[in-house]
Amino acid sequence: MTEAMKASGCPVSHTDYRVERPIFETYELLNADREAGPLLWNDSTRRPFWMVTEYDHVVEALQMPDVFGNEVLSALAPKHALDLLPNYLNPPEHTTMRKVLNRWFSPAAVRRLEPQVLSHCVELIEELAPKGGCDLVAEFAIRFPTDMFLATLDLPLTDGEEFLYWVEKIFKGFAGKEPEESARAVEWIRGYFDRAIADRERAPRDTETDFISRMLVSDLDGTPISREDIITICLTLMTAGLDTTRSALGYIFHHLSRDPDLRHRLTADPSLWPIAVEELIRLYPLVFQEGRLVKQDIVFHGLPMKKGDILWLGLASANHDPKKFADPRAFDIERDHINHHLAFGAGPHRCLGMHLARHELVIALTEWHKRIPDYEIATEEQLYERGAQLSINKLPLRWEI
Amino acid sequence: MGSELFVDAAKCTGHGRCYSTSPGLLSDDEEGFVTLRGSSMAIEDEQLADAEQAVAACPERAISLTRSR
Repeated sequence: MTEAMKASGCPVSHTDYRVERPIFETYELLNADREAGPLLWNDSTRRPFWMVTEYDHVVEALQMPDVFGNEVLSALAPKHALDLLPNYLNPPEHTTMRKVLNRWFSPAAVRRLEPQVLSHCVELIEELAPKGGCDLVAEFAIRFPTDMFLATLDLPLTDGEEFLYWVEKIFKGFAGKEPEESARAVEWIRGYFDRAIADRERAPRDTETDFISRMLVSDLDGTPISREDIITICLTLMTAGLDTTRSALGYIFHHLSRDPDLRHRLTADPSLWPIAVEELIRLYPLVFQEGRLVKQDIVFHGLPMKKGDILWLGLASANHDPKKFADPRAFDIERDHINHHLAFGAGPHRCLGMHLARHELVIALTEWHKRIPDYEIATEEQLYERGAQLSINKLPLRWEI
Repeated sequence: MGSELFVDAAKCTGHGRCYSTSPGLLSDDEEGFVTLRGSSMAIEDEQLADAEQAVAACPERAISLTRSR
């Protein structure tokens, strides 16, 4: 317990958010913590941290990169196991690198990718439809974004299977499982991107359409991006884009499988999918562990924080804050400020892939429900969610064929 | 003097909610930012509703509408 914490007299949370729990239990715990106070001290990890639980405070802190720095990204794992770029940078270096990356993930770029996303998605669904059932998580939710990631980077979709095998090992590592396998997986994937770079060095591609070729000729205020950094950027895009999309689809399909009226309404009027997706990702935020390093002594809303302290910015807690969203646990596409949710964060580090993610989700849901409008959960057993960053472990579905 | 819509470049991080909500009024650039970022535009009376929607859509509170008559 720090002196500052004692002096603040703020409530203490002992909840360990790293552990696997029955599905939705994490949200219950987050709500309980928010109800205990806007600012808490959490002592469940080796390096305890301040928790910011309310919407307004979270946004404010996200917009203060000079005070709350990105040297720490997860309040639950402040010592990072994996280098991530540009995530660990602060402005102005962060701004410079984002400028190089933004155009690959902008709505304009996403629109260019649309025909490929659409046809591939339809292919996957049509492969599953005659089976009458599947594990949504393993057979659809992860395959779709993996292939989309490969397409975005102009890498062969035929690499998907092998790529996925290693990607899964990295995600297990996030949850603290099989660290050696995870390290091997990082090595394999770095090697994969290294080979992709070598291919392009041998046979240069169009820098307007090929991501890696563009990275090879891009510079950050006059300095070329090093090969190691290009590999790290690719690895970061992969870890950021695949698990989150898979997890979002898991929670969304779980919700829809239990609400046939909503499913029928959306299937009948597909123009509602974009707004429904906003509300569903508000309702089921995944990245709830967002952390920052306090870079100078500061009093934040009456709470004295010391340089070197760790801050948890409650993105998920904020999404369920009744001061911001009335009746927050209800699905309501009519609600005020529906897209103010923090599922993609805010401030300079807001999710780079947010436009691609939204697009992928809308396309996946639209095309799925055109072909498989009715389905149900095919198991009575308890489903679980991963700690550290939420994800449903599996979601067996069945439907009539 | 008419109304004016302003996008604060220091706060705008490119969520794109404004041009998605009010596509008739605002548009996106190659990087995904609203083209109005860092500048302002005059708003005619018939554009007021769209402008208000764009302001309300921004999660960063980067857009402001100054109404005067």
